[in-house]
Amino acid sequence: MIQLQNVHKYFFKDEPREVHALNDINLTIEDGEFTLFSGPSGCGKTTLLNAIGALDSIESGKIFFNDKEISSLSEEERTTIRLNEMGFVFQAYNLVPVLSVEENIGFIMKLRGFSDTQIRERVLEVASMLEIENKLSSLPHALSGGQQQRVAVARAVAAKPKVILADEPTANLDSKNSKALMDMMRDLNEKEGVSILFASHDEYILKSVRRVVKLSDGALL
Amino acid sequence: MFRLALKNILFYKGRSITTFALTFISAMLFIVYVSMMDGSHKSMLENTLKIYTGAIEIYHKDYRDIGGNEYLIKDVTSITNKLTQIQGVKAYTARYETYGLLSTKESSAASMIAGIEPEQERVISSLATALREGEFLSNESQNCLYGGAGLIEKLKLQLGDEVAFVGAASDNSFAADIFKVCGIFKTGSFEFDLSSSFVSRNYFDKLMMAQNKASYITIKVDDLENVDAINEQIVAVLNDVELESLTWKTLMKTMVEAMEVDSIFGYISLSLFLVVIFFVIMIYGFINVSTRIKEFGVLRCIGFSNAHIFSLLFYEIFILSSLALLLAAPIAGYICYYYSVHPIVIEGIADMYKDYGIVSDEIPFNFDILTLSWNLALIYLLNFLSILYPYFYINSFKPIEATKHV
Repeated sequence: MIQLQNVHKYFFKDEPREVHALNDINLTIEDGEFTLFSGPSGCGKTTLLNAIGALDSIESGKIFFNDKEISSLSEEERTTIRLNEMGFVFQAYNLVPVLSVEENIGFIMKLRGFSDTQIRERVLEVASMLEIENKLSSLPHALSGGQQQRVAVARAVAAKPKVILADEPTANLDSKNSKALMDMMRDLNEKEGVSILFASHDEYILKSVRRVVKLSDGALL
Repeated sequence: MFRLALKNILFYKGRSITTFALTFISAMLFIVYVSMMDGSHKSMLENTLKIYTGAIEIYHKDYRDIGGNEYLIKDVTSITNKLTQIQGVKAYTARYETYGLLSTKESSAASMIAGIEPEQERVISSLATALREGEFLSNESQNCLYGGAGLIEKLKLQLGDEVAFVGAASDNSFAADIFKVCGIFKTGSFEFDLSSSFVSRNYFDKLMMAQNKASYITIKVDDLENVDAINEQIVAVLNDVELESLTWKTLMKTMVEAMEVDSIFGYISLSLFLVVIFFVIMIYGFINVSTRIKEFGVLRCIGFSNAHIFSLLFYEIFILSSLALLLAAPIAGYICYYYSVHPIVIEGIADMYKDYGIVSDEIPFNFDILTLSWNLALIYLLNFLSILYPYFYINSFKPIEATKHV
């Protein structure tokens, strides 16, 4: 479970161009949720996702991840939380260019110390689920955008995180690939029981998720 | 991590080749330069020791500080008998040195005149090979004088001319004789050639009442590197508080200091070179890292820790350095070995040296595995240090900021 209590976040604090990016956010996300943070550009949905993902600091308030307060942790402790508990999908895929698809998918498992056999089995399982099993030996640059995003999802899910945070995952995909990706993520959510949080203004995601959290000017609506 | 580092090296070819080439070239230059510097010092020392000064010399304790006949070694035979027991002693000879006046009808000059054992000197010093005219002494030579070219010229003497000698014998009595110039030598050492002359000991000892006495005993050793250990053995075997055994490091203190100063300047210029190489490698590493900030940001977002980043940079530089040094070590090692066996001859300087006969016209390199090892270790260390700034630069970004870096 993820809990946010009175979370505030500013950009350019105490400067004329100060932005109150998150304004007194109070939110609870239960395990296994399939949730979208929605709103216009600049409303704070990516900032909220980053705060939950221990990627960015907050000015005040508290963020609990499975009853552990993560907002006050050091950078190294946050890194450990991200490695062991979370998976990330980025708008620009952000695969490691020098690693093959198979190595990219198994990358986080490798960092977490899984054995080669465990990694191989899990990579095949996830790749099969996301229909990229015939691309395992390819390098990322040889794949289409849709395929790369599937690899990114596979990487995020392979180590069985408790939550996946996806920031505009369909922004660089056409409607067909967007639909395919969302179908897969919903499948993963149902089959693997992993919570998935999106930050997006994609209409298709809006229709696919079970819960929508709307933001405007950094505040929940 | 090692595999990822290897893949990065293959992927970022330009940076890898540059780092490899810089490491290879700097290692080659460093090893060869140090080898040449050490080799020239060793050669300089050996040449100088070959002329006259031995690697080790045994004196009566106060001879060097006070001097005089009271402080001569009184029982040469008992000491030389002990020297035969010591491993590492290649040869030894006793010398009786005195100062006297050499005069002709036209001029006079003060000179150091030494009674030497000609056959032993052939092994120990280069006096015999410094011969320019006439002949070197033999154990049977009688009143033959073997004089330095400068001294002979100063006295306006020629081969076969006679010269009168006046001096004090070992018992402080008056000693005088007429010597005949049998040989003229030129070592290249200006002062030595201007003030030194030699007579066979068998003859000179009788004249100076110096049988079984010596100013000092000079010793040649098998290996100059072991001179301290051999000297310790000599001191132990002699076991005489009245005697002192000194190595070339004490006997030629000025030269040792000059070589040390030369080494310091050599290492200063080398360190400047290495600093340049270090910064070039670091800047290349930094430029490379700057272009990968986004990639590192993503890695950190998904769970790459600072330790992982350091390991990745470390393995990248480790692989590149290892490959460069694995290639540089045998090539540079072979160059050092080759030129230690076949020293470089510098044209022009060689001609000048030929005139002097003793000082070698060659610049030998020093081939030494230990030196080679520390040279390689230093280059390794510099390369590892060069990743520190790029590492701290990466960590100066928050992960999420880094993912947006352009």
